[in-house]
Amino acid sequence: MSEKKAAAIKPERYVAQRTAELASRRSAEEDLRSSEENYRLLVETASDAIVSIDDKGSIVFANPAIATVFGYDPTELIGKPLTCLMPEYMRELHEGGFTRYLATGQRHINWQGTELTALRKNGEEFPVEISFGELTRDGHKIFTGFLRDISKRKQAEVALRTAMDERTRISAFREEIGIALSRQEDLKGILHNCAGAVVRHLDAAFARIWTIGCEGRELELQASAGKYTRLDGSHSRIPVGQHKIGLIAQERRPHLTNDVQNDPGVSDKDWARRENMVAFAGYPLVLEDRLVGVIGMFSQKPLSENTVEALSFAAGIIAQGIERKRTEDALRRSEAFLAEGQRLGQIGSYSWRVATDEIKWSNELYRIYEFEPGVPVTLELIRTRVHPQDLSLYETMVQNARNGGHNFECQFRLLMPDRSIKYMHAVAQATRDQGGQLEYIAVIQDVTERRLSEEALERSRSELAQVSKLTNMGEMAASIAHEVNQPLTAVTNNGNACLRLLANHNLEPEVLRRVLEEIVADGTRASAVIARIRAFLKKAPVEQSELDVNEVISEALALAGHEIQNRGVVAECRLTKTLPRIRADRIQLQQVLLNLIMNGVEAMTGVTDRPHILWIHSGLEESGDVLVEVRDSGTGLGSEADRLFTPFFTTKTKGMGMGLSISRSLVEAHGGRLWASSNAPHGATFSFTLPVAAEGLS
Amino acid sequence: MTTGKNSSFVFVVDDDAAIRSSLKFLIGTVGLQVETFESTESFLKRDLPDGVSCLILDVRLQGRSGLDFQHELAARGIHIPIIFITGHGDIPMSVRAMKGGAIEFLTKPFRDQDLLDAISVAMDKDRARREQERDVKEAQGRFDSLSPREQEVISLVVSGMLNKQIADALGTAENTVKVHRSRAMEKMQAQSLADLVRMIEKLKDRAGKAL
Repeated sequence: MSEKKAAAIKPERYVAQRTAELASRRSAEEDLRSSEENYRLLVETASDAIVSIDDKGSIVFANPAIATVFGYDPTELIGKPLTCLMPEYMRELHEGGFTRYLATGQRHINWQGTELTALRKNGEEFPVEISFGELTRDGHKIFTGFLRDISKRKQAEVALRTAMDERTRISAFREEIGIALSRQEDLKGILHNCAGAVVRHLDAAFARIWTIGCEGRELELQASAGKYTRLDGSHSRIPVGQHKIGLIAQERRPHLTNDVQNDPGVSDKDWARRENMVAFAGYPLVLEDRLVGVIGMFSQKPLSENTVEALSFAAGIIAQGIERKRTEDALRRSEAFLAEGQRLGQIGSYSWRVATDEIKWSNELYRIYEFEPGVPVTLELIRTRVHPQDLSLYETMVQNARNGGHNFECQFRLLMPDRSIKYMHAVAQATRDQGGQLEYIAVIQDVTERRLSEEALERSRSELAQVSKLTNMGEMAASIAHEVNQPLTAVTNNGNACLRLLANHNLEPEVLRRVLEEIVADGTRASAVIARIRAFLKKAPVEQSELDVNEVISEALALAGHEIQNRGVVAECRLTKTLPRIRADRIQLQQVLLNLIMNGVEAMTGVTDRPHILWIHSGLEESGDVLVEVRDSGTGLGSEADRLFTPFFTTKTKGMGMGLSISRSLVEAHGGRLWASSNAPHGATFSFTLPVAAEGLS
Repeated sequence: MTTGKNSSFVFVVDDDAAIRSSLKFLIGTVGLQVETFESTESFLKRDLPDGVSCLILDVRLQGRSGLDFQHELAARGIHIPIIFITGHGDIPMSVRAMKGGAIEFLTKPFRDQDLLDAISVAMDKDRARREQERDVKEAQGRFDSLSPREQEVISLVVSGMLNKQIADALGTAENTVKVHRSRAMEKMQAQSLADLVRMIEKLKDRAGKAL
């Protein structure tokens, strides 16, 4: 090091040395006098101390600069040993070396630019750089040395070295913070590592990091490293605006001090004094105008600018780190929610890039389809699970999706390897990726359970409806039977009595007239009963509301579902969507539909040579009324079409003959019409119309 | 008590006038006397004739059920055969009626011949019942004409005891028993011991029922 330093300062010393040599050479020459003058001038004005000693080591000369460098008056040094200018611990070394040189000519130190420690008159040691030479005068050796106070330079060097050390430390600090923030850890772990880095690299006694919580009203201590590591102490929660930390958060300004013990922001000064705390630095952790937390550190050493700068830098990236971590956590949480939701709802999702047939499945979808998780999904693979009866539906769907680019929704079944059937409901949304390529994002729900429970529900509902229908019908039938049977019985009795008397040739015209009058009266009475029933039905309290006729058809089909299935009938609906709403009593409309459906089903019971199909169609008539048709492939109307709606007309073995009559009454009460027509070649169609609700027209 | 040339009566209880009228006309064609009532109360007010009769009863009457009335009649000891007619019958209803002793359960409208056949069966049954009742009544009258001692002896005779045993039981002479016994047989108009036993059994039956 000293070699290097010597080289670095060579020009300066060279001048002084050469001057001294020149001076001594000249003194030996003629112009000695002027030389000596020059020499004296040089020596007396030099800022370095110049000391000459004899071969005894006693000072024979000291220049005026000795006063500024060593604090001695030049004259008081004459005759004193040179060693008085050096610390005690060096004196022996010096004397040994000097004696050896005198005896052997061996130099124990470099004479040019050697750094040594010197001693001022006031006892202060200081670094000097020494260069010296010897000359012999009158047979005696004289040694002259130039002593330069290099304590300032040394300080600068130390400062430089410290600064360089600090830079190294700070870059290590930054690196560590960066690593800490990129670690896959929870937020507390990450912040703990950051606080640790502050302690290790920024000379903090301890460092803490709080994050903002509780809707921005409170700071929560997340990490504490160094002297204090507890997170549940009195500083674990600090309301924003309270104490120095809370104020940093509120004002969003750093708080820096190298005089903790007199800083008004530091509340516990006794503690600071006791613990020798000197400095405090606190920075708000702010990201894009948003406060995410506060970082703070106490130090027993003053804060350097570099430290403050490093802490400020760290605050910035820690803020980003917290925010990123939170975003990641939120994302992970929402992904977890999504996965959990999918699992609970038995909903899977997938994306399908049409151009490349690249398909991505969610885990739940693998589970639903019972494929090994991670198996590459292809349309072909999916196809292997589709129920054979739904394959054409599936292929049509795929084809349409390829061509269309429209959202689609469909239901299909899966046939699992164990022969069980799953019901799927898929809803797909068409999107375009950045490249404009068609991609479907879809959710598929396993609706098997829902489907099965719906079926069970429908079954029990339909059974219940059947029971209550039967009960109602039974009661009504009993009442009607009694009321109508009375006059019918009377008519029959009277007619039979007449026939008997006639057979015995015993029927008197007067008797016959009277009896016929009775018969007519009873017939009239029977029809009055029917009229009363119809009037009752018309007057029955109706709750009219605006209805979608298709909904009511579906409900009636659900009610009749059990019966339809049991009798091997297939119901085919062709319902026109977007029909205007009608105004009707839901229950009565259900009754009419149920009646027509059951009639159709029953009409096909005896048919064996053709499928039992019940078509139900809804549409709009030219008149603007809503039209509903129920068509069967049954035995048809035959010759009795005109009597169908007559009360008590029935072609059934167990029928009251009231259904169609009542149905017509109900439809007419709603302002509609009900009629029947024969189909070619088989079956009958029952049609009815209902007027559109007033608002439905607009 | 109403008396007439023909003491056979068919009673009709139905709350429907047309039914009453038509039934009266129909049943009249076979030469039976028909009397109609619009309610069970009015029927009960009528003193029933001492002739063969039956009742045609509507199941569903205003205010009460014909089936309940059937029970009421039985409780009152009125044993008139009943033919039920109903607008809407079901099996439990008909079972109940038949268990209660009804002759027939007809659903309106019924075939005229079914009704007339049922009436015929009912009349026969009532006639048989009346004859039996008359026999019992006569036997009772004869039994009542016996002296207490004769009644005592007769009771022991039909229980199978010999004259000697009866004499021992009553503490009298066997000959005295013989005298009581032959006088009682005469008064009872019994042709044989077996005839006497049959008569006493009928009386016991009736007494048992009355109990």
